[in-house]
Amino acid sequence: MAVSWLRKLAARGPARVFLAQGEHSEGVREYLALSPAVQLVDSPRHASVLLVAGEVPIGWRDDLRRVHDQLPAPFASVWYQSDPFDELISAPRVDTLEALPETLLATHRDLVLQRRGSSPRLLPDVPPNPWQGLGDDGHGGEGMMGGNPYGRPMAMNMQDDRRDGLTLDTLTFRLGPFHPGLPPGMQAETSLQGDLIQTWETQKRPFPESVDLPFHAARERPVSIAELERARARHHLHRLHLGLHLAGWPGLANQVLRLASDLAGQPNIAGLRRQLIRGGFFRLAQPMPGHGRLDDETVHQVGGWMARAAGVGEDARSQDASYRRLGFTPICQAEGDTASRWRQLLDETQQSIDLAHQAERLDLATANTELIETPRGPWGEDAPDDASQILEEVLPGLEWGEAMATLASLELAALETVPGEGALANQERRA
Amino acid sequence: MSLLALILVLILSLGAGLLLQALPRREHALPTYPQRAPFLGGGEPDTHAWSRYHVRYYPMALLLIAFEMEMMFMYPWAVVFVEKGAMAVMEMGMFLAILSVGIVYAWREGVFRWQ
Repeated sequence: MAVSWLRKLAARGPARVFLAQGEHSEGVREYLALSPAVQLVDSPRHASVLLVAGEVPIGWRDDLRRVHDQLPAPFASVWYQSDPFDELISAPRVDTLEALPETLLATHRDLVLQRRGSSPRLLPDVPPNPWQGLGDDGHGGEGMMGGNPYGRPMAMNMQDDRRDGLTLDTLTFRLGPFHPGLPPGMQAETSLQGDLIQTWETQKRPFPESVDLPFHAARERPVSIAELERARARHHLHRLHLGLHLAGWPGLANQVLRLASDLAGQPNIAGLRRQLIRGGFFRLAQPMPGHGRLDDETVHQVGGWMARAAGVGEDARSQDASYRRLGFTPICQAEGDTASRWRQLLDETQQSIDLAHQAERLDLATANTELIETPRGPWGEDAPDDASQILEEVLPGLEWGEAMATLASLELAALETVPGEGALANQERRA
Repeated sequence: MSLLALILVLILSLGAGLLLQALPRREHALPTYPQRAPFLGGGEPDTHAWSRYHVRYYPMALLLIAFEMEMMFMYPWAVVFVEKGAMAVMEMGMFLAILSVGIVYAWREGVFRWQ
């Protein structure tokens, strides 16, 4: 078929990409978000290309197959630092981050201009639960709610309502592990009544999170504090980017990423804070007082900046002679809720940038390699462990939007003690 | 004659409607079953989405009464209040005060919260 002008026009646009993050895929989302060739979308329904970044362990592959088959045809998949499934052996594989936007765009154009066929479906085209309707009305059996019309039970009123006594049907489903609102690799079984979370059970823990190479180096030898603090500020700004994206603020989210990519100058964090206050970001993070608050026990499980947001003044940097020379004291908030965690993140970002400037003037390096403060928490004999089970206490009782905002303000994955491929690739790119 | 014209219009409009429905389907098969499943990032639902959802009409109904009734009674009141004087102002003040209690209650119930 001749290529219509409509197809040519569509081929000029950016590639619409759904990102499924596997292990060691840090930095891919942030890199692609600033690329004009790519538009990251939050649902496979809006994508023409599925990007699988990082290795996907065996237990996660069936979930990825389901996501793969949810893209509307014609579509294709691109694999970054990961081997395609046997059925998709002709799918492009890319190993460098710099080549990724071009490959995604070329794949999208080839699809639109029909130079490339659509990716094959991996799952059989059969109803997941075939119709088993019985009786005159076909609703599946005796009485109004009897039977299982599609082989699945009707949502029934199993538990009392947590909010105001108006009981609603319980809806139970598993979310993740490739949902953009959840940490990569995490799957949770959750029950909703209306938009209120009743139960939350983590079934697959998130993939361990890798921090930038200076933190790994700091465990072995003294490293420049300026370099370390800029890496910390960058990590925090990347977290804020996720929160802003979730809040429906893509412009500001990308502005934060641009700030994070150029921390050598004097980034305007105060201006960013004003924008967030004026735009109501902190109010959005905490519509009801007390929601998303971590109690004393959970605060110690998560540690790091999230604990400092709840008033725990512990920071491994206080025990480092070089930091003491810079006059370092930990910053703390009092409330420990979602909004205070975002405030803490902004405060610590500003503090890290100031420390980096001071340390640069004095040419200071870290003095303590036994215990360092990573953006995920203190790393001494033990590295910060997975804390995703705290969500089972924190999220029930929250409305869906509040729960997602709370989830974005928490870093719960275990710390990867060996630098992953993603961290190495990011370091090479910045060098 | 006019009946014939009406039938013709009916046939034409029905034909146009059916054509509009059929044209987009010409080349496209139905999406596959896995594609039609709700997107949960790889997860699956346990139950149907046919759950009964309470939209909480009571606070909304209360709010409608609070604002709507107020305006309904204010129109006839505006016609007579010059003639009746301070008495009418006082009566309307009492009426608005009672309605305000409803608004305060609805506020407490979270009706004005943007979700």
